[in-house]
Amino acid sequence: MTTRLMAEGLFEGVDPPRLVGARCSGCHTVVFPRQDSCPRCADGTMSAHVLPVRGLVWSWTLQAFPPKPPYRPPSGGFQPYHVGYVDLGEVLVEARLEVPLREIRIGLPVRLTTMPAYHDEDGTEVLTFAFRQDPEEDR
Amino acid sequence: MTRARSDEVYVVGCGMHPFGRDETVTGMAMAERAVREALADAGVGWEDIGYAAGGSDVSGKPDTLVGRLGLTGVPFVNVQNGCATGASTVLAVANALRAGEASLGLAVGFDKHERGAFNVSAARYGLGDWYAESGMMLTTQFFALKTRRYLHEHGISERALAMVAARAFRNGAQHPMAWRRKPLTEQEILDSAEVSPPLTQYMFCSPGQGAAALVLALGDRAFDLCERPVRLASLALRSRRFGSFEVFSPWLPPGPHRSPSVDAAEAVFRRAGLRPADVRVAQLQDTDSGSELIHLAETGLCGHGEQEELLAAGDTDATGRIPVNTDGGCLAGGEPVGASGLRQFHEVVRQLQGRAPGAQVPGAPQVGFTHVYGAPGISACAVLTA
Ligand SMILES: [Zn+2]
Repeated sequence: MTTRLMAEGLFEGVDPPRLVGARCSGCHTVVFPRQDSCPRCADGTMSAHVLPVRGLVWSWTLQAFPPKPPYRPPSGGFQPYHVGYVDLGEVLVEARLEVPLREIRIGLPVRLTTMPAYHDEDGTEVLTFAFRQDPEEDR
Repeated sequence: MTRARSDEVYVVGCGMHPFGRDETVTGMAMAERAVREALADAGVGWEDIGYAAGGSDVSGKPDTLVGRLGLTGVPFVNVQNGCATGASTVLAVANALRAGEASLGLAVGFDKHERGAFNVSAARYGLGDWYAESGMMLTTQFFALKTRRYLHEHGISERALAMVAARAFRNGAQHPMAWRRKPLTEQEILDSAEVSPPLTQYMFCSPGQGAAALVLALGDRAFDLCERPVRLASLALRSRRFGSFEVFSPWLPPGPHRSPSVDAAEAVFRRAGLRPADVRVAQLQDTDSGSELIHLAETGLCGHGEQEELLAAGDTDATGRIPVNTDGGCLAGGEPVGASGLRQFHEVVRQLQGRAPGAQVPGAPQVGFTHVYGAPGISACAVLTA
C-alpha cells in the first residue's frame, strides 16, 4: 500500500517526518505552519524551523460527533478522537492526540507520530501528524 | 471622562423581535418589527431618525430596510463585524450624533441562521485544507480546549459549567423573548449529549434568529423624549493583540494569552470613570458556559478562580450581587450574530429603567455592562448608566 503525507509543507524528512514551522530572527517567535512574515514584530525575517518532537499535553478534548465536510473520515468511518494543544516549549501546536481516555490529562508527556487520516480515491493512505504517549518519559 | 450633557448620548427607546426559531418570518421582517417597536418606545417616527446603522451577518443588506420603513433619505450605514456587529452599530450612531450629524439615531441588528454549527472554510481563515480535513477546524473544540485549560489553571470544577447554564435557562424561563424557556437542573445539563468535553450539549448556545433595535438621542433631546433615558457612558471595540487564544489556531505562543476582552473592558471602565465593582447588571458573551466563566474574570467582574464560589452563592442570579445574563444570554436566546449584541443593550436598558421583560434586578440598578467576544479575536464592551 502506498502512503503519502497529508500536506508536504508541514513536514521535513520522511523517516520519521518532523514538523516544520518558522522562526523569526527578530523576536524568536516560532509559528506553525510556516509563514513568511512575523505576527509579532515588523523587523524579523522568518526561516524554516524544525519543531521539537517531545512535549506535554497543554489542553485536550474529544471530538464526539462526526464533523461536517471538508473533514474526511477514515476508511472505516468516523470514530470519536482526541484533539489538543501540545506544549513544545517554544510553541504550542494543535494536533490529534493518539492517547486513550484513561491516560489523557494535562501535563502528559507525548511525542510526535503520524496516523492514517483517510484514503485517497486510488487507495493511497494519507497520513497526518499526531502525538502519542511518550514511552521513554512514562514511568 | 466627563462630558457636557449636550455631548452625551442616551438610549431613549428599544425594541426586540423574540429570539428562537420561526420559519414563517424573515430576518428583514424581524428587523422591521424591532425598529417599529423601538420607535414607538421612544415616541418618535421613522422620519425623525437622522442617522441609522444596521448589521446582519447572513440575512441581507440592512440599509434595504428603508424600503419597508420609509424612503426618507436618511444616511444608513451597514455593519458586518461578527459578534461585535451590534456594538459597532451603536458606536457608529453615537459617534455620528456627537459629531453633529443628527440628534436622533437608530441602531438595528438581525439575523436568521441555519440549524447546526456555523459552516467554515479553511481558506477563508487563511489555513490549508489539511486543517479542516484532519478534523481540527471546529469551533466547539476551541471552546472546549480553552475551557479545559482555564479550569485547570484556576482550580474550577466542571460543575461550575453546569451552574452557568442552569442559571441561563432559569433566567430564560422568565423572559418572554428568550428561545429556551425550560429550566434545567445542573445534573440534566451535565448528563446531556457529549459534544466536546468538558462541554456538553446544553452548555452550548445554538445559532438561531432574532432582531433588536435602539433609538439613540443626543443631549437634551433625550430628556424631551424619555422619562428615564439611559446614558451610554462608554463603548469600546478592540481587536486581538499578539498572544490571544483564538479559534482556528494551529499554533499558539507559549503565553501569557491576553484576550481582546481584557483590553475592551479596561478601556470602557476607564472612560466611564467607573469600576467593575460598580456594575449591578451585566451581559457577558456566553457562546458556551466556559466562555462566560472566563469573561467574568477577563472583564474584571471577579478575580480568576473566584467564579465557582460566586455561582454557588447565587451572586450572579438576578437577585445577587452581580446579576449576569438576566435574559438568559446566548445560552437561552441562541446567537443570531447580528442581533446578539443589541439584545444585550436591550436587556440592560430595560433593567436600568426598572422594566425588565423577565427577571428584574431589585433595588434600582444604576450601572449596567455589556460584553461580546468572538472570531477572529474581537471584543466590544459598553457601560450604561441610569
Ligand atoms: Zn518577530
